[in-house]
Amino acid sequence: MRVPLNWLREYIDIQLDPEQLAERLTLLGMEVKGIEAWGADWRSVVVGELLTVVRHPRADRLSLTTVDVGAGQVLEIVCGATNIAPGQRVPVALPGAVLPGGRRIERAEKMGVVSNGMLCSGDELNLTSDVDGILILPPGTPLGTELSNLYGDTVLDIDVKPNRGDALSLVGLAREVSIVTGAPVRFPEIGLVESGQPTSELLSISVEEPGLCRRFVARWLSAVKVGPAPDVVQVRLQAAGMRPISNVVDASNYVMLELGKPTHTFDAAAVHDHRLVVRRARAGERLETLDHVQRDLAVEDLVVADAAGPLAIAGIIGGASSEVSERTTAVIIESAIFDPLAIRRTGQRYALRSEASLRFEKGQEFRLARIAADRVAGLIAEWAGASVAAGRADSAAAEPGPTQVPFRPARIDRLLGTQLGPGEQRAILARAEIATEAPNGPATIPIAGEVKPLTATAGLGEALIAVIPSWRADLEIESDVAEEVARVLGYQKIPPILPHTAMPPYLDSPLGVRDLVRQTLAGAGLTEVVTAALIAPRQVEAFRSATPAGPALPGDDPAEGRPIRAVNALSSEHAVLRQQLLAGLLQVVALNLHQGREDVAIFEIGKGYGYDEASGLIREWWRLGFALTGASQPPAWNRISRPWELDDGKGLVELIADRLGFAPPAWTRLVGEPVFHPGRSASGASEGALVGRVGELHPALRATEDLRAERIVIGEFALRGLAGGSPTVANIVPIARYPAIERDLAVVVGQDRTAGEVERTIRSAGGGLLRGVRLFDIYTGPPLGADEHSLAYRLIFQASDRTLTDAEIETTLAAIRAGLAREAGGRIRA
Amino acid sequence: MDLTSLSSELHRLRDAALASVAAARSSATLELLDVEVLGKKGSLTAVLRGIGSLPPDDRPRVGAVANEVRASIEAALAERRATLRVAELADRLATEAVDVTTPGRPIGRGALHPIIETMGRIAEIFGRFGFIVHEGPEVEDDLTNFQMLNIAPDHPARDLWDTLYVDVPGHLLRTHTSPLQIRVMQAHRPPIRALLPGRVFRYEAVDASHASEFFQVEGLMVDEGTTMGDLRGLLDEFSRAMFGHDKRTRFRPGYYPFTEPSVAFDVECLVCAGSGCPACSRTGWMTILGAGMVHPVVLQHGGLDPERYQGFAFGMGVERIANLRHGVGDLRLYTENDLRFLEQFR
Ligand SMILES: [Zn+2]
Repeated sequence: MRVPLNWLREYIDIQLDPEQLAERLTLLGMEVKGIEAWGADWRSVVVGELLTVVRHPRADRLSLTTVDVGAGQVLEIVCGATNIAPGQRVPVALPGAVLPGGRRIERAEKMGVVSNGMLCSGDELNLTSDVDGILILPPGTPLGTELSNLYGDTVLDIDVKPNRGDALSLVGLAREVSIVTGAPVRFPEIGLVESGQPTSELLSISVEEPGLCRRFVARWLSAVKVGPAPDVVQVRLQAAGMRPISNVVDASNYVMLELGKPTHTFDAAAVHDHRLVVRRARAGERLETLDHVQRDLAVEDLVVADAAGPLAIAGIIGGASSEVSERTTAVIIESAIFDPLAIRRTGQRYALRSEASLRFEKGQEFRLARIAADRVAGLIAEWAGASVAAGRADSAAAEPGPTQVPFRPARIDRLLGTQLGPGEQRAILARAEIATEAPNGPATIPIAGEVKPLTATAGLGEALIAVIPSWRADLEIESDVAEEVARVLGYQKIPPILPHTAMPPYLDSPLGVRDLVRQTLAGAGLTEVVTAALIAPRQVEAFRSATPAGPALPGDDPAEGRPIRAVNALSSEHAVLRQQLLAGLLQVVALNLHQGREDVAIFEIGKGYGYDEASGLIREWWRLGFALTGASQPPAWNRISRPWELDDGKGLVELIADRLGFAPPAWTRLVGEPVFHPGRSASGASEGALVGRVGELHPALRATEDLRAERIVIGEFALRGLAGGSPTVANIVPIARYPAIERDLAVVVGQDRTAGEVERTIRSAGGGLLRGVRLFDIYTGPPLGADEHSLAYRLIFQASDRTLTDAEIETTLAAIRAGLAREAGGRIRA
Repeated sequence: MDLTSLSSELHRLRDAALASVAAARSSATLELLDVEVLGKKGSLTAVLRGIGSLPPDDRPRVGAVANEVRASIEAALAERRATLRVAELADRLATEAVDVTTPGRPIGRGALHPIIETMGRIAEIFGRFGFIVHEGPEVEDDLTNFQMLNIAPDHPARDLWDTLYVDVPGHLLRTHTSPLQIRVMQAHRPPIRALLPGRVFRYEAVDASHASEFFQVEGLMVDEGTTMGDLRGLLDEFSRAMFGHDKRTRFRPGYYPFTEPSVAFDVECLVCAGSGCPACSRTGWMTILGAGMVHPVVLQHGGLDPERYQGFAFGMGVERIANLRHGVGDLRLYTENDLRFLEQFR
């Protein structure tokens, strides 16, 4: 809420400077978001007095004026307005002045006459809404004074929290200032002179939905002369961010800002039979609202109607037909209390949130319906010369007394960690106009109000009763009182200590394994990225797996279910929850390639999401994804860089498996996954620990994903522990004390036999003495057949209890050769 | 052959050998010489073969001469060998010299994302105070995200969270990490010290200071005697650990439906050190998190008796903390993943 300090001073004396006041209010919970010097944008606008006004010799619409701008300086200024006369004091923009909106005023020639500045209208200064006439200042306004010194103000922008609707008003904020300074609040004086026919004879009201309209107060004004509100009022409204409209409407808005109570004014002539009914809208009813939009009303909407139909959507917006206009002579004031939820729903349905509906949504003080009706009537009488009919129409004139909240001072001290005791707490509450009294018996303490109401009984002497001011609807339970005590005391006075209560039992952090993987990959040269979980539907489809990647790992959700869509997404690029990480990673690759970068090596640890309609379960599973393109290591002057290849991708996965203590993954050819190069992609799995795919991106996707790179290696893996759990603990075996013996073996097999198959055969035939198998060469070409290749391995043999003999090794090698011949059709090269 | 001629033969051989040793320019020549003179088929052996033709009485005398000759040649060889080894090492060192001013061979190293790192740092700090990390679903139900946190449907405070809804009935993308408070209380009995990090979502147009996806860390501590004083003390420690010991903090009222009393926690502006600047809206303070004592209704939904248990919760935006720590001014940098940005966090 925008709070002009000069207006606020109407209700309380303030000695603090604006910065001090802002800080004190912020510490009280009324956060000041900004301090604006309002009027600071009138530069070089001063008060002048018109000396002469004559018609421009060559233009009927223009006047030539001479203006005294103080210190004996007289300027000739050409002016187009017709409301000026010698002797008036007016705002003068001097050459060089800058007006709101950045408009610059210079010396200029107008129809052959030089104009040394400009006389300003209220609209040009953003002071009033008068567009046509020059703003005529009061006669005593000091000559030559900068206008900002007269009308400028300091405006605090205060963030009033949703539970403090009462403070969306100047009076409410004056009460907060009073808590800070102790100065008394001056509630506006409602000097109402009633005359003539009583209201009850002039209008009648009927509330058909008392559940949605707890109170409806109306007043009747006659002999209304609609015109502009006094300048000072217009200036205040402008400073508070509201546009002045007319004295009648401004009176309503003024009171809304002053008391926080929205009211509505009807042209009485437009109300059939002068009878207002509060009811729900009927099917098929329409209303042209003040913004000249024809609206089809919903049967849930609450309306204020007459016999002919709806006149206003209650609490939201008035109708055009009953709008107060220049022809209006009689006005009906509506000051009602509508149901906050109903107002909120209707406001959302029409996407209409006004200053008024905002206040209705936060609830209204019951007695304000009466006070605001009187206050608006009084102001219209003063500003528009109206007569106020005697009495009000009021649907619920009986006003309830203050509510009481019993509380235990000891419990509040226990919650806050203070030792205030009852005496000090009473004194603190009194500063917020909360009276306290001692109950004369056991008290029922409200602990929780909603859903499952809970109370406690406090014995004699344990409790006090807080008598809540009628405007403080936010104080309902004991902990509300605790907050009020803390807030008025000042949170800064709560002594800081460190927890010394019992500790919870140990649990592994789910971040543990993720951090190991992250550190390992960063050490291997990859940079971590974080991409959006919401991606484009196109990306979800393009990267959908043809076949499930494998069973879920322990502790994680299975990757299953249909994609989950955000129904109110702001952008189609971020509308569906991802099911894999690759689309986002490739987007990052594309962005960086576009920056002219060639080498990109990135990874992300993140979730995929799915909804399994059959089971009704929402699934969220963790994955590691990576993308590699360009050089795998930085080039040096004596080293040529090497591109990232499929084997690097596999190597990274093997590195992580090793780091996490998993068995090395077995690689098999990946088929039927359109995202991957069909000849250069693999499935990798390590039972119960790791499963996923790695490969080159299918070249066809380079175009659709806008990737300017020849080859990109991508991979996505599920790893045990990403979702939580502890890293595998290394289980140490004794270091072998007998020598290892190496033998090289080259086997020729058909090219349809993969290295993976050959290695598996070697390992199974080699038995326990074979401790290591390392592929060191693959050869194709003469003298081998066209469809053959030779795989060369270094085999390591070792026993833990003896030095192996040549004979033992030869036996094992023979078994390997036989196995290769039998299972892979291989022959051994000499 | 007689004694005299054999002796003179030996002396000649010695003189020639010593001359050759002295003239040798490399260890290899020297080793060759060693074999030629002293080897089994060497010249000394050849001369000594003549010893058999001498009378037995002369033989020891020639033997003595021969030993003397062998010893002197061996000594000369050893000395020359040592000299040459030093010279040769010096030569090798000279030829192996390189330009030591060339740049070192770069070793590729990646960077870790500042948001995940900051989240980890927050978890580490609170971990020192016994807080344990728990995680939960990002696709959350309305009940846990709002209603159990004392935010009824149509509650005006719902305006504080612009919500993205999903096509699973009753569900939404969690707007904050606060629903994890409920989940932790339902799953674990007090004493509870929980740290709840994760991704959250908002229905929000993206610009420099707004994101539709970002990360939060929630904290929850509940037992029988946790006070607002504990909350203040702990947050002060957090600020010291994260922003430095010299930064002042401010503990002031805030508003959340799920805490009562509610707290906003500020740290002295890191840009202007409290004197007021555009970064802190000229207040000298930056709000880094919201907090408060867990509302009794929330304790009830967590299955705890609000008369027995009490505690606090706090929540912070990870991007905000990272912004302050690293001087980042635009949230989009975190999600764009431009490597020129990310690689600065190495
Ligand atoms: Zn600052």
